[in-house]
Amino acid sequence: METLTFWQSLIIALWVAAVMSRAFLGGATLTLRFSPLMTGLVVGIVMGDVAGAMVITAAIQLIYMGVFSPGGTMPSEPAIAAAIAVPVALLGNLKPEAAIAVAVPVGLLGAYLYQFRFFINTFLGKLTDKAVEKLNDSEISRSIVLYPVIASFTLFVPLVFIALYFGAPVIADVIKALEGTVVIHILEVVGGGLAAIGIATTIYVIGRREYIVFFLLAFFMSVIFASLKITMVTYAILGTLIAAIFVLVKRDINNRAVSTGPMETNDFDDDDDDF
Amino acid sequence: MKDTGKNLPTAEKNDSNLEPEQITNKDVSKAYLRWHFANEIPHSFDRYLAASLLWAMMPILRKLYKDDDTLRAAYKRQLLFFNTQLTWGGGIITGLMSSMEQERAREEYNQEEIKMTDDLMYNTKAGLMGALAGIGDSIDSGTIQYIFIAIAIPWAQSGSALGALFPFICFASYQVLIGLFFARQGFMRGRNATTLMQSSGIQNVIDLLSILGLFMMGILAGNYVKVSSSLKFELSGREFNIQETLNSILPGMLPLAVVLGVYWYYTKKGLKVTQALLWLTLILAVLAAVGIL
Repeated sequence: METLTFWQSLIIALWVAAVMSRAFLGGATLTLRFSPLMTGLVVGIVMGDVAGAMVITAAIQLIYMGVFSPGGTMPSEPAIAAAIAVPVALLGNLKPEAAIAVAVPVGLLGAYLYQFRFFINTFLGKLTDKAVEKLNDSEISRSIVLYPVIASFTLFVPLVFIALYFGAPVIADVIKALEGTVVIHILEVVGGGLAAIGIATTIYVIGRREYIVFFLLAFFMSVIFASLKITMVTYAILGTLIAAIFVLVKRDINNRAVSTGPMETNDFDDDDDDF
Repeated sequence: MKDTGKNLPTAEKNDSNLEPEQITNKDVSKAYLRWHFANEIPHSFDRYLAASLLWAMMPILRKLYKDDDTLRAAYKRQLLFFNTQLTWGGGIITGLMSSMEQERAREEYNQEEIKMTDDLMYNTKAGLMGALAGIGDSIDSGTIQYIFIAIAIPWAQSGSALGALFPFICFASYQVLIGLFFARQGFMRGRNATTLMQSSGIQNVIDLLSILGLFMMGILAGNYVKVSSSLKFELSGREFNIQETLNSILPGMLPLAVVLGVYWYYTKKGLKVTQALLWLTLILAVLAAVGIL
């Protein structure tokens, strides 16, 4: 049974705690928490297989597209999900779809842990109040920055470490035993389809129902031009240009509507008579 | 500094040592960067992110309020319930609070009637934090972050570390820059900070980003949603391959149906991601087990 070494488990656990405490690079942890990509990269570096880790993480990312935390809480924690699922997949030499089967439940559990962090911070807030009364700036700073970070580390490091050091090999073996059965075909189908979740979430989050036409346009473009292997960057540029044209035309119409008053309909051809 | 205060006669001590200092753009930027760092570290249930706002404002408040009592009151003012998004909300409000506290400090020092009351300051903050959070979350985290990620996914899929580093570095840098921008805007415009949202320039940028975001989602859907039917059967000697038939009607029909299906689910039930995830898994698993997919 392959397993993670003590140090590998510890480093990944420390990374997760750093991200979850929101302290590592401060606001930069926003994307470290919403997207599993960087966590997957760290796992890859720690386990010596960056390429393998990235491929698996990409599959996990596709499910979690569009995910962020309005109000501060999320239904799932993608970073924690990746921290467990990617090592499991690498240990067991599993396909990305199998990793998703591990990622989803772990992500849900991780969300509960994150909320527990708020609970601890609520108590630490009392220390802030006392320090404010005394106008002791360094004590205030400690209670706002240092203590919550220590609390987060104490909460996350042991749990993630145990999950990795003891749990990961077990899960990997279980999934490996299912290889060749219809379960794997099911996992493949599910994995391929779940990417739709992330995409639909992002579309919904962006709002703007009328602009769905642009989604449909791009979808059919990518299907039709699939053999041309157009890169994402090229598509991004194309998308920006199309969006810019649209915004320019809209602005132009608005300006004209404002300056000319009531619309003159004489300009329009009446095509009804052309038979 | 305290020592020079002791030697001066009391009248001079009141005038020069209690005068609020001028708050500069550099002070505001520094306050924003403190907020940007602390952000959600002390996140708690009772006052959410207020502690981070206080921590951000501390240097500025120290510059404005030289008297212990007014300083303590200012600290407590900034410790009231506060929850908003990092850049749009945090940026504008950090700048706005700096501007308002400066005005309040001036009123207190000159012993004028206090027009910049505690209530006014808190209500303005409370009113803005919700709206800015909504806008900021959906533009920054919901759209821009995912445009960067969408671009990087192919790199990740081919095993490159760039797939992770690119979106992280781009988005993290963007957030610092935009946050600083908003902080300065909030400070400059003061109570009129809301006019920033209504400017057509910002509206056009938001429009463009939304369209681009949707466009990128379409490309992703076409490339990465893999749903195809493995159903083949023979009927009176002729072979029927369902997937080929579907392809001849409209390529990409099944993936599109799945994406639009989930989207329709959201419009009916709200953004219940976990539920959609479980339902879709169930439906796909059953169809796969039966052999249709």
